[in-house]
Amino acid sequence: MAVLPVPTTPEAEVPLRSLSASVSPVSIIARVVRAELREVTRRSDGGRRPVLTGLLSDGSATVRFTWWDPPKAGVDVGMVLRASPAEVREFRGRVELNFSFRTRVEEASEVELPKLRPEEIPLTRLDALTDGSEGLWVEARVAATGSKSVTVGSERRVVFEGRLADSSGSVGFTAWVDFGLKAGEAIRVTGGYVRSFRGRPQLTLDERSSIERIDGVGLPSAESVREPTRRTVSDLELASGADHTRVEGTVVGLLPPSGLVERCPNCRRTLTGGSCRLHGHVPPVADLRARMVLDDGTGALTVNCGRADTERLWGVSLSTCLERASDRSYAPELEEELARAILGRRLRVDGRAVKDDFGVTVFPDSITTVSPDIRSSAAGLRRRVRRGAA
Amino acid sequence: MSAREPAWRVLAHEFAASSEEIRARGEKEASYLISPLGARMNRVIVAGSIEPAESIGRDPSATFYRAKLSDPTGAMALTAGSYQPRAAAQLSAITERSLAIVIGKAHLYRGRDGSAVASIRAEAVQPVGEHSYQLQLLDAVEQTVTRIELSERLRAPDPPTDERLSSEGVPELWRRGVRVAREMYPSVDPAAFRPGLLTVLDVVEGVRPVPDETPSSKVAVRRDAPKAPPPPPVREDRVAEAALLELIDELSDGSMDGYADLKEAVGRAREQGLSSERTEELIDRLEASGVLEEPIVGKLRRA
Repeated sequence: MAVLPVPTTPEAEVPLRSLSASVSPVSIIARVVRAELREVTRRSDGGRRPVLTGLLSDGSATVRFTWWDPPKAGVDVGMVLRASPAEVREFRGRVELNFSFRTRVEEASEVELPKLRPEEIPLTRLDALTDGSEGLWVEARVAATGSKSVTVGSERRVVFEGRLADSSGSVGFTAWVDFGLKAGEAIRVTGGYVRSFRGRPQLTLDERSSIERIDGVGLPSAESVREPTRRTVSDLELASGADHTRVEGTVVGLLPPSGLVERCPNCRRTLTGGSCRLHGHVPPVADLRARMVLDDGTGALTVNCGRADTERLWGVSLSTCLERASDRSYAPELEEELARAILGRRLRVDGRAVKDDFGVTVFPDSITTVSPDIRSSAAGLRRRVRRGAA
Repeated sequence: MSAREPAWRVLAHEFAASSEEIRARGEKEASYLISPLGARMNRVIVAGSIEPAESIGRDPSATFYRAKLSDPTGAMALTAGSYQPRAAAQLSAITERSLAIVIGKAHLYRGRDGSAVASIRAEAVQPVGEHSYQLQLLDAVEQTVTRIELSERLRAPDPPTDERLSSEGVPELWRRGVRVAREMYPSVDPAAFRPGLLTVLDVVEGVRPVPDETPSSKVAVRRDAPKAPPPPPVREDRVAEAALLELIDELSDGSMDGYADLKEAVGRAREQGLSSERTEELIDRLEASGVLEEPIVGKLRRA
């Protein structure tokens, strides 16, 4: 007679990456990333029951969890918990953990968290990183580094930041710890997670990420990653944007609002009818901007040009505009004049390209007028036209 | 996907040879003019010298401008009406022949005899200096020769696969355009467009002056022969013609510009029991006999 397996508390903890509804219940050990204590009112008798929901991460994945009747004090973010047996459920295609009255939950030590072994994680190309990717293995060249001081709560902390590049693309990173990274080095990163920052994926290296120097065979050279990568508009559309990219094209249009605009003093949003979408009626701050449509024949994108670039391309300063625009009704004429000044211009734009529902937008680091040598371009083209004719 | 249509860099000889289109089926779809080389044009950017525009229509509040833009390979018709106020203002401001870059929508008018006339509904007309003009021509030559090369490869006995072209970095829109053109213009020889490009390069390099007169590097693209002239009218035709003329008079009296819209006329005639083929046939005959004229495509008036 066959012996049916009795559901017992599993001994070894399962990495969160390997969770699935078919292996439930499980033992897990993970860190609390986010936690919120609420009360749920029972419909039947109006009784209230506390529930704690949040996110758990063990470096291999992050999952939502629900904990019925948690300790009154709740739990602190950052605490490491061991839970067993925890029920695994699938909700809208995502795995979730459920702690019930049968689940033993206790605080565990950081050292008990599963060690991430590179051989368990697939190597990810930088262009495949998306918001929420974590427990990563990437190999890349450090393209740029820097640091800045930020205020977190009441303390000042230094954030190390920079950019990594491989042959597929590049991605910005921030680190809370100094890994001593230098531009030009080739590194292997294990751990870390990706969050979307201003529309682009950004890699965060936390305390548990590890960095190893590697020889960098197969990675782009230190010189080549310093320069932005030239891409066509069509490439940028396919790649859903890119960091540190270069695109060249002709200005074929100007989108509103462009020219002389009024901004909110608090959030810098453009005001419509003198009021801010978030802050209501505010004293306006005058600014110049140009939302140019840049076209290279493979597609078109928007270049979001700030005041300095607008002034330079237009040759008219904000103060001149303000002198001429004594009232708001003059703004459309200025916009028309700006359009005349920039339409048909050939520009090279370096910056960060972001794709959304309206297409690709570039936030430029630099804009230069392209002026190729007419003689040599014509000669090159002549050879190309003749070659096929021969 | 709502990406903005790219502006195709095109020269007059390729534009004028474009006689096929993909019509929008839904409200949110775009129409495309297809060139023999696979430019799949909704929007175009062209450079050339523009002659002062001619204004058409009697109503001064709804002026419609028409102008001719010439590049070293030929000429293109530009139009701008009240729906393109910026372009209309810019066109009307041109008082003497001058160089300009024009951004606009490609438009195809198909005549009842099967002939096709491509024109550009201007969105922006930007007067430029010689340097910008040359740069724009070079851009057009480069993208045109790219289309020629792509067309030749795809028309060869052993054409490359789409994956192959994609891995070479050929944009999806360009691959699609050339494939569609191969279906629509099976007998075109892409190499026929090469001599025109050499003429452009001559102008850019200063070997030839910027032309005053419209030259022609016209590439013949075979189309169906025009139909035989209509047979002489019979009595019932006369009755229908009279009714149609009355309708056209009514429409032109009621319209802003003094013209009767062709589509509107066909629609109204259908309400009166005339099939659209029959209406077109009658209009053809009235035009041939000099009673009606069609000075703007799709716009009719008494001669």
